Amino acid sequence: MSASIRNLVAELTIKADAERVRDASMWLAQSGTEFGVPEEELNRLDLCLNEALANIISHGNPAALTCPIHILLDVRRENDACEATATVSDAGPAFDTSSATIKPRPQTLADAEPGGLGLLMIRSFSDKLAYSYSHGRNHLSFSVRWIETR
Amino acid sequence: MAIEFEDVNDTFRRIKLSGRLDIPGTEAISIKFTNLAASASRRVVVDLTTVSFLASIGIRELISSAKALQLRGGRMVLLVGDNVAVSKTLQVTGIDALIPMFSNPSEADQAALA
Repeated sequence: MSASIRNLVAELTIKADAERVRDASMWLAQSGTEFGVPEEELNRLDLCLNEALANIISHGNPAALTCPIHILLDVRRENDACEATATVSDAGPAFDTSSATIKPRPQTLADAEPGGLGLLMIRSFSDKLAYSYSHGRNHLSFSVRWIETR
Repeated sequence: MAIEFEDVNDTFRRIKLSGRLDIPGTEAISIKFTNLAASASRRVVVDLTTVSFLASIGIRELISSAKALQLRGGRMVLLVGDNVAVSKTLQVTGIDALIPMFSNPSEADQAALA
């Protein structure tokens, strides 16, 4: 029996601006719900998206902050196996979120320093992470997977 | 994003946050939260039961105020109730090991006052 494969895709372009992060979340929620992504998986994607955008906005150079950010949502179903992937593309300096070093966790509140949690959250909440740099842009993809119950 | 507080007495305060603690949500409450949570030596319960989304910027806000409060001799604990999304984020980032986290309101109060 041949596999049934379906793909649904949505795209969004935003300014690299903290005010637009909420717009991206709303777009993700609307598109993901329309494409049948479960709430828990959508929440995981939303966390990853927020952290990816926060990294660009907080650490990006002028190129990253003046060029638009492109976001692609791709939902793929192969029979009951489903995967939703968000890809964030920005014009900042090359930075591989998928392999950058994560700070060790502090042992006490006194040792805790702000920052460094975004990478940890992206890696923890995604099921798959991929990075490439091409045509002067970073392309970071994070995926969540689930099995569709009927 | 909404922020409310209740002073049980001069040294014990409950602060309730509601909504999305993403970048705009955290920026909206940051100054008020810091003033309420860390401006004096108190025992503080931060109620996150109706926070719908917790990003790293929101966690940083909690850590900063918890540290400042500790330096003043106070203590912060977190109340998450049955908010699975928020408690999972706090566990994944290890924050529950730095700021005690409780599901039960009475236990949160007791831990804050201990």
